[in-house]
Amino acid sequence: MSPVLDIQGLSVAYNRKGLALEDVHMHVPKGGIVALLGANGAGKTTLIRAVTGLLDLHQGHITAGQVRLSGQIVSGLPAHRLVRLGMGQVPEGRLVFKHLSVEENLRVGAAVLPRAQVQDGLDAVYHLFPRLLERRQQAAGWMSGGEQQMLALGRAMIAKPKLLLVDELSLGLAPLIVRDIYKQLLVIGETLGTAMLVVEQNANLALSFAQSAYLLKQGRVVLSGSAAEVAANPLMKSSYLGEAKVAGESTP
Amino acid sequence: MNTTNSQPPATNFSAWGWLIFWAGALAYLPTLLTERALFGMALSNTQLLNLGLTQINLMLISMLGALSLNYLTGCAGLISIGHAAFFATGAMAAAIFDNQLGWPFPLVLLACGLSGALVGTLAGLPSLRVRGLYFVLSTLAVHYVVAYVFLEYQFKFFDVVGIPYAAPRIGDFELNTPVRWYAFLLPLVVLVYLGLKASLQSREGLAMRAMRDHELAATSVGVDVRILRLKAFGLSSAIASVGGALFAYYLSNVTSEAFNISFAIQFIAMIIIGGMGSLPGSLVGAAIWLLLPSIIGGLSPQSNEDGGFIGKMLVENRAQLVQLIFSLLVIVFLIFAPDGVAGLARNLKNRIAAWRQRP
Repeated sequence: MSPVLDIQGLSVAYNRKGLALEDVHMHVPKGGIVALLGANGAGKTTLIRAVTGLLDLHQGHITAGQVRLSGQIVSGLPAHRLVRLGMGQVPEGRLVFKHLSVEENLRVGAAVLPRAQVQDGLDAVYHLFPRLLERRQQAAGWMSGGEQQMLALGRAMIAKPKLLLVDELSLGLAPLIVRDIYKQLLVIGETLGTAMLVVEQNANLALSFAQSAYLLKQGRVVLSGSAAEVAANPLMKSSYLGEAKVAGESTP
Repeated sequence: MNTTNSQPPATNFSAWGWLIFWAGALAYLPTLLTERALFGMALSNTQLLNLGLTQINLMLISMLGALSLNYLTGCAGLISIGHAAFFATGAMAAAIFDNQLGWPFPLVLLACGLSGALVGTLAGLPSLRVRGLYFVLSTLAVHYVVAYVFLEYQFKFFDVVGIPYAAPRIGDFELNTPVRWYAFLLPLVVLVYLGLKASLQSREGLAMRAMRDHELAATSVGVDVRILRLKAFGLSSAIASVGGALFAYYLSNVTSEAFNISFAIQFIAMIIIGGMGSLPGSLVGAAIWLLLPSIIGGLSPQSNEDGGFIGKMLVENRAQLVQLIFSLLVIVFLIFAPDGVAGLARNLKNRIAAWRQRP
C-alpha cells in the first residue's frame, strides 16, 4: 500500500540561489501523524510549499525529486488542483478570510465538495468546534486568535482531505488553547482517517501528539524515526540550541 | 467588539411594505421631476433640490459604472483605473454596431457587453503575473491604449465634433425623452444590481471575496485565483461597457475627451464614498457624486446684485465654489466615515442592536 505522501529526493531552490532543500526523503503513512521539526530556516516551510504547490508564488522551484500523493505524482501541479486531489492545508499565520463570516469561510473550503455534501461538512466542523457554531455569522477577522485557528482548521478539513498539512499551529496562541486544538486534530485523524504532516516550532508538543517525526537542518533530513526515538536523540537538542551548547557531540 | 447578529429578522410584511413603498416612490419620481409638483402641489426648484430627470438618468448610468467597479475592486480586490476605458469601449462598440452596421438596439447592447468582456479580459491578463500597484499601472496603460484607439477611430470615421448617436429604439419604443430613458434605465440598474448580488452569493462569488481577503489562503483551499480574476474583469467591464454605450446614446454625441482619466477616477471616488465591497454603497456613492454638486448649487443664492465684491465673486465663480464645497464635504465625510456610507450604515445598525439589547 502506497503511503499518502511520499517525497523522493526532493531539492528546492529559490530564485536560482542556493538550495533551500536538498535530497529530502519523507513519507506519511495512511492515517498517520508525522511531525516535521527544525529550527528557524531549516526548510520546514519550504517543504510545505513544495508539497502544496505554492512554491511558484514565492519564486521557488523544484530542482530534483518528486512528490507523490497516494501514488500519483503531484509535484509541479498548481495548488488549487492539489486541493481537489485531497491535499488539505492549514497555512501558517491562520489566514482566515477576514471580511467573510465564519460560515462563509467554511463554505469557501467546502467548494470542492459536491453541493449536497456541504451541509454535512458544516455540521461536522461545528460538531468538532462548537465555538464556531456560536459565531457562525460573525466576521472571521474579529475573532480571537484561537477561534481563527479553529476556523482555519475547519476550513481545511471540511474538504475531507487525505492529507492535512498543518503549519505552525501554535504560533502566537496560549498553550492551553494549542493543546485543545491539537486534541481536536487527533479526533479528526481518528474519525476521518486523515493523515497529517504537522510543522511545529514547539518540538515537545509536536512529539507528544505525533507517531513519527523528521528533523530538518539546513535543508536536509538529519534525523527520522518514531516520535520517542527522535525525542531521545541528542541531535534534537543540538539542532535547536546550536552545536556548542551540547557537550560531547561530534559535528556531522 | 461586534455583537453577534441577534436582531430579529425583518418580518415579511415590513420587507414587502418597504419594497412597495420604494417601487412606488421610484415610479412616481419622473412625474415629480417633470411636472415639478407633488400630487398637484407645486414645488419650487429649491424644494426639488435643483434636480431634474436628466441628472437622475445620468446617475443611473453612473451606477452601472460604480456597481461594476465595486464588484471588481471592492469584491474581487482588483484596483482598476481603467474603467473609463471600458466605458469608451462600449461607446465605440455602439458606434460600430449601430452607426456603421445598423444593428437593432438590443443586439447592439449585447455586442457592447461582449466587446467590453473581451477588452476587460485582455486588460485583466497582467493580473496573472503582477500584483498591487504594478497591476494598477497596467490598468492605466489599458486606459491610454483604449483612449488612443478611440481617438483614431473617431477621426477616421467621424470628425473632430465627435461621434453622433441617434436615439435608440426598442421596437416602437424610442428612447427620446428623459422619462422614457428613466423607464429603461431604472429596471436595467435593478437587474444588474440583483445579478451582481446573486453572483456574490454564489460559490464563485464567495471564492472571489475570499481571494480579495487573502490570495494565498484562497489558493490553499482550492480556489483558482487566475481564472477568477479574469472572470471578474470580464463581467465588470461588460457591465461598464454597456454603461458607456448608454452614456454615449444619452448624450447623443461623444468625443474621446469624454472618457478621460478623471472620468475613471470619479468611479473610484463613488465606491470609496459608498463603501468598498458594498453593492448598495455603490448606488449611494454614485447618487452622491452625481447629485450633490447640483444640490449645493441649488442652495446657493440664485443672483446677487447687491452682494458687493464678495457676493459678486461668489456668483461669478459659482462652478468652482460648488466644486470646492463638494470636495470639502467628501474629504470631511471620508475622515468620519472611512468605510463609506456602507460602513456608516453598518455601525449604526450595530449600535441600534446594542442599544436594543440593553437591560
